[in-house]
Amino acid sequence: MARIRGLVTASTLMVAAALSPVSAQEALHVAWYGGNWGDAFKACVADPFTKATGVAVIPEVGTSTVTLAKLQQQKSAPTIDVAWMDGGVSELAQAAGVLDPITEAGVPNLANTLSQAIYKDGTGIYAVGTGYYSLGLTYSTKEIKTPPASWNDLWKPEYADAVTIPSPANSSGVPFLFFLHKIWNAPAGDFKPVFAKIKTLKPALFFDSSGAASNAFQSGEAVIGAHFNVGAFDLIAKGLPIGFTVPKEGVWATDARLHLVKNAPRKAMALKFIDTAQTAEASKCLAEKLYLGPSVKGVTVAADVARKLPWGENGSVDKLYLLDWNDVNARRAELVDTWNREIARK
Amino acid sequence: MISARTAPALLLFAPLAFFAAFFLVPMAVVAISSITTDGGALTALHYTRILLDQYHWDVLWVTFRIALVTTAICMLIGFPLAWYLVRIVRWRAWRRVCVILIIVPLFTSNIVRSFGWMVLLGRTGLVNQGLMGIGLTDRPMRFLGTETGILIGLVYILVPFVVLAVGNALATIDRGYEDASADLGVGPARTFWFVTLPLCLPGAVSGAIMVFALAVSAYVTPALLSGGQITVFSMLIFQQYSSVFDFHYGAALSVTLLVLTLVLVGIAGRIGESGRRAA
Repeated sequence: MARIRGLVTASTLMVAAALSPVSAQEALHVAWYGGNWGDAFKACVADPFTKATGVAVIPEVGTSTVTLAKLQQQKSAPTIDVAWMDGGVSELAQAAGVLDPITEAGVPNLANTLSQAIYKDGTGIYAVGTGYYSLGLTYSTKEIKTPPASWNDLWKPEYADAVTIPSPANSSGVPFLFFLHKIWNAPAGDFKPVFAKIKTLKPALFFDSSGAASNAFQSGEAVIGAHFNVGAFDLIAKGLPIGFTVPKEGVWATDARLHLVKNAPRKAMALKFIDTAQTAEASKCLAEKLYLGPSVKGVTVAADVARKLPWGENGSVDKLYLLDWNDVNARRAELVDTWNREIARK
Repeated sequence: MISARTAPALLLFAPLAFFAAFFLVPMAVVAISSITTDGGALTALHYTRILLDQYHWDVLWVTFRIALVTTAICMLIGFPLAWYLVRIVRWRAWRRVCVILIIVPLFTSNIVRSFGWMVLLGRTGLVNQGLMGIGLTDRPMRFLGTETGILIGLVYILVPFVVLAVGNALATIDRGYEDASADLGVGPARTFWFVTLPLCLPGAVSGAIMVFALAVSAYVTPALLSGGQITVFSMLIFQQYSSVFDFHYGAALSVTLLVLTLVLVGIAGRIGESGRRAA
């Protein structure tokens, strides 16, 4: 009798749950970044998702590293279903064992995703890219009339004390060292020549945050240097005399990726959310709002948006230097230490 | 009925619980992670790595030097300001305006204020334009990326703490002591030196300790104004947490800075104590 009553109660509850309108309990919890990034993710992915499914999306705002820290803390009982994290942190999350594989069956739009933007390892697909951004050559168009053609221009004497590149406290700092290592054809695994050359650079500043780089270009402290296409075109949109170019050696780039959290409480909806992000509409929308290079095949954007993408005008994903983050993560501590000792002291 | 004994206990519970949850627990987490490995085994490796490496001592020296000079300059600027506010200003409304002027910047975030200094101190900033305008230099002076730049930013942010602490001490001094000293035929300079100064020493020392502790641990201001070309200890800690993800080593760096700062603050506290006794 008690068992039957229990069954009845349980099934009544299930029916009630199925019939009840969207409640906070059912809403999908998605971790994304703050500021204009979060706004764009909401407008381009979360809103269309809610419109199509009726499931509300509750954002969990934080940078990639903060999100990873949260996922590690709630490993045993996760509340976040889907998480945006940047390249680099994505690999760390996979190593920390907080992700579940994303399946082709759950995300049919993977068929339309660039193969470079599908990240797999032995356990399956652990991340899907939702758009690329790059660290390109940014310069003041007031002081520099012809766009610089090479990263080596940063060492020109006329730019002494007016150059900026990322410091290792910035997420692009260590990968930028790998990028310089590649374009200078330094011997495999040996960063000595890279540090030796950076030591001869006359910087205005090594920037810790994208905001510090924007500030330096805005105030004229930096005349030339590295900056993210997202940040540079934000400044250009504000009417500042700034140019962004992809020099002949190409640019280093990475992407914002979506992840399915291990034991996500709303797994089916989570996969549906990732599927929504991989539609051409969402990808195009992110390109227009954040100048992210689309990771979905065949997305075309207006010419005015196209020139702001990470690969520059008429470029494609092949122009980007996408490195293996596992190599970076393996040497991260050592390179940061060398930087501190060699570069960040007078 | 709440007895006379349980009432204070209940009143104390909330702040104690708050203190435990938001101060003791995080502190314990950091302390534990500084003496463990990823696997959870005990180790002293993180500390030997720090303490046996001359590089860390060099960075500590830079950090403490900047903090000490900041404290000294803050005292030199803050003491006369406090004196002016408490002893010289007669008009109440003006004193109030001054106090508001000193306090208002504290409501703005350090980040915004440091960005402001980046603009002012830059190559093409107002300070350099002014210096070149009056012909003091031909070329823009480097402030960003130098210790001078960091000092300017820190002093600007921390001076109010000295003014408030010293001002408070000055205001509570019984003027009768100074009058008595004058009655006994002692000149104003000697009265200041032997009577007034020792009396406000405790306030001055607590102001100095506040400034020193905040300057040693400051991250945003040195990070922005150093342009990544000078490293202070808090920047090393931030790097480990934000970019290297070695939380154990980062925690050991934090505890090292904390302990060394506490030692110095303890010494300064002793000086304040003996000053009070002498007074």
